[in-house]
Amino acid sequence: MNDEPKNSNPQPEAESKANGSTVPMWILSLTLVLIYLGAVYFDHHGGWFDPQVYSPYKNAEELDSYQPKSGAAAILAQGKQTYDRICNACHGADGMGKAGQAPPLAGSEWVNAKGFKRVTAIPLDGLNGPITVKGQQMTFPSGMAAMGAALSDSDLAAVLTYIRSSWGNKGEPVTADDVKAVRAAFGGHPAINGETQLKTMPE
Amino acid sequence: MKSGFRVFLAAFVALGLSWCGFVLAPVLQLGEAKQTQILNSSDTYPIQRTGDATLGLQVYRANGCAACHTEQIQQSGMACDVILTSAGKNSAAVSNLISNLKLTGLTKEEADAASDKITAAGGKSETHIAATGADISRGWGIRRSVAADFLYDSPVQLGGIRVGPDLANVGARLGNANWQLLHLYAPQDVVKNSAMPPFRFLFNVQKIGDVPSSDALQLPKEFAPAAGYEIVPTDDAKNLVAYLLSLRVDVPLYEAPFTPPQISTNVPANKK
Repeated sequence: MNDEPKNSNPQPEAESKANGSTVPMWILSLTLVLIYLGAVYFDHHGGWFDPQVYSPYKNAEELDSYQPKSGAAAILAQGKQTYDRICNACHGADGMGKAGQAPPLAGSEWVNAKGFKRVTAIPLDGLNGPITVKGQQMTFPSGMAAMGAALSDSDLAAVLTYIRSSWGNKGEPVTADDVKAVRAAFGGHPAINGETQLKTMPE
Repeated sequence: MKSGFRVFLAAFVALGLSWCGFVLAPVLQLGEAKQTQILNSSDTYPIQRTGDATLGLQVYRANGCAACHTEQIQQSGMACDVILTSAGKNSAAVSNLISNLKLTGLTKEEADAASDKITAAGGKSETHIAATGADISRGWGIRRSVAADFLYDSPVQLGGIRVGPDLANVGARLGNANWQLLHLYAPQDVVKNSAMPPFRFLFNVQKIGDVPSSDALQLPKEFAPAAGYEIVPTDDAKNLVAYLLSLRVDVPLYEAPFTPPQISTNVPANKK
C-alpha cells in the first residue's frame, strides 16, 4: 500500500481549513422545528408571563374557568361583599341595626316575609317614616335613601339573599329575575312613606 | 488583542441578558404586586405580619431554619366535586341521574357538564374545587403558594431542601403556641424520632422565684430541668413562634382558587 499523502504539497498547512462547508441542512431544520415546538408549548402552558397564572393552570382562560361563579356559596359571598360595602354602615355587620339609624334585619318579619316584593322595594326606593319591626314601632329621622337603585339586579338579588339567610333569618332566596320584576313595577318610585304605604304594595 | 472589543461586547451581552432574565423580568412581572382580595370576600390579603412576627422572621433567618424547611407548597392539579344541594321537585329522577354520574375528582368541564345535567333534571348543585398534589395530600396545605403569600416578607424564606416538613401553612396546621415552644425546646418530646435539633439557646433556665413563671414550659421528666429551676422562652423564641403562627396559606385567591371547607352564614354573628 502506498501511504504517501496524495497532496503534492509536502508542507502541512499551518491552519486547517473548513473549505467553506456549512452547517448541515438537517441540523438547521431540526433546530427550527424544535424552536417552533418550544414556542407552541410555551404558548399553551407558559401563561405568557402573567403574574397571576401559576402551574397547574396553563393560561389565564383556564384560571378564569376555575373561579367559583355559581352555586349558593358564591351568591352569598357576593351578597356579603355588597352588604359590607353599603348596608353595613347603618344595619351593622350583625344585622342588628343601630338605634336612631336603622332597624334590625336579623329576625325582622319584613326580611323574612314569604314574598320578595316588599323587601326588594325598600332598598330600590328607600323608606321614610315609622315602621314596626319585631313588634316595636321605630322612627328614623334620616330615613333610608334608595340604596339599591344603583346596584345591578344580580348584586341586589345577592345582597337580599344574603340578608334573608344570615343571622338566623330564613327567607327564600331572591333571584335577579325577581329584582328585575320589582324594578319594573316600583323602580323610580319616591321613597316609601312608612309601613302604611309599604303595606299597600304586594307582598 | 485583536478582537478585544468583540470579547467585551460578547461578555456584555451575556451578562446583560442574564440580568434581564434574573432581575428585570421578575420586577416587570411582580414588582407592582400589592394586596389582593380574598376570593368571594371583601377582605384583603395578605395582612402585614404583626410586630413580633416580623421580628420572628429575622430569628427564623438567623437560625438558618430555611436550610431544612421550605415555605412553598406545590400543587399538581385541581379536582372538582359536584355536590347536590337540592333535589328539587322531581327527586326520583335526580337521584336516578346522580347514581349514574361520576361526581368526584372531575375536571372543571366535566363538573360543569354534570352540574348542567342536574340543573336540567330540576335539581341544584354546587361545584367544589380542591387543589391536588403530593404536598396537599401530606396535609401541608390546601392550595399552592403564590407570590402574594410573601408580599411582606423581607427576605423571603423560600428554602430549597426539605429535611423537615414544609412550613408555609404551619400556623394553620399547628396553631398552638405552647406546642411550638415545646417543639423548639425539645422536638423529640412532641414529635417522636424528629430529626430536628433542639434550639435550647432560645430559652433561659432560671431559678423559680416565689411563684413559677406563667410562661414556663411544662416538660416531661426526661427533658425537665433540675428541681427548683424552670425553662422560660426568651423574646427571640416568642417572636419566632409568633412568626410560625403567622404562616398561613389557607384562603382562596384569584390565582389559586379553591372552595373553602364551609361557608355558612346561617350562624348568628354573636354566636360565632
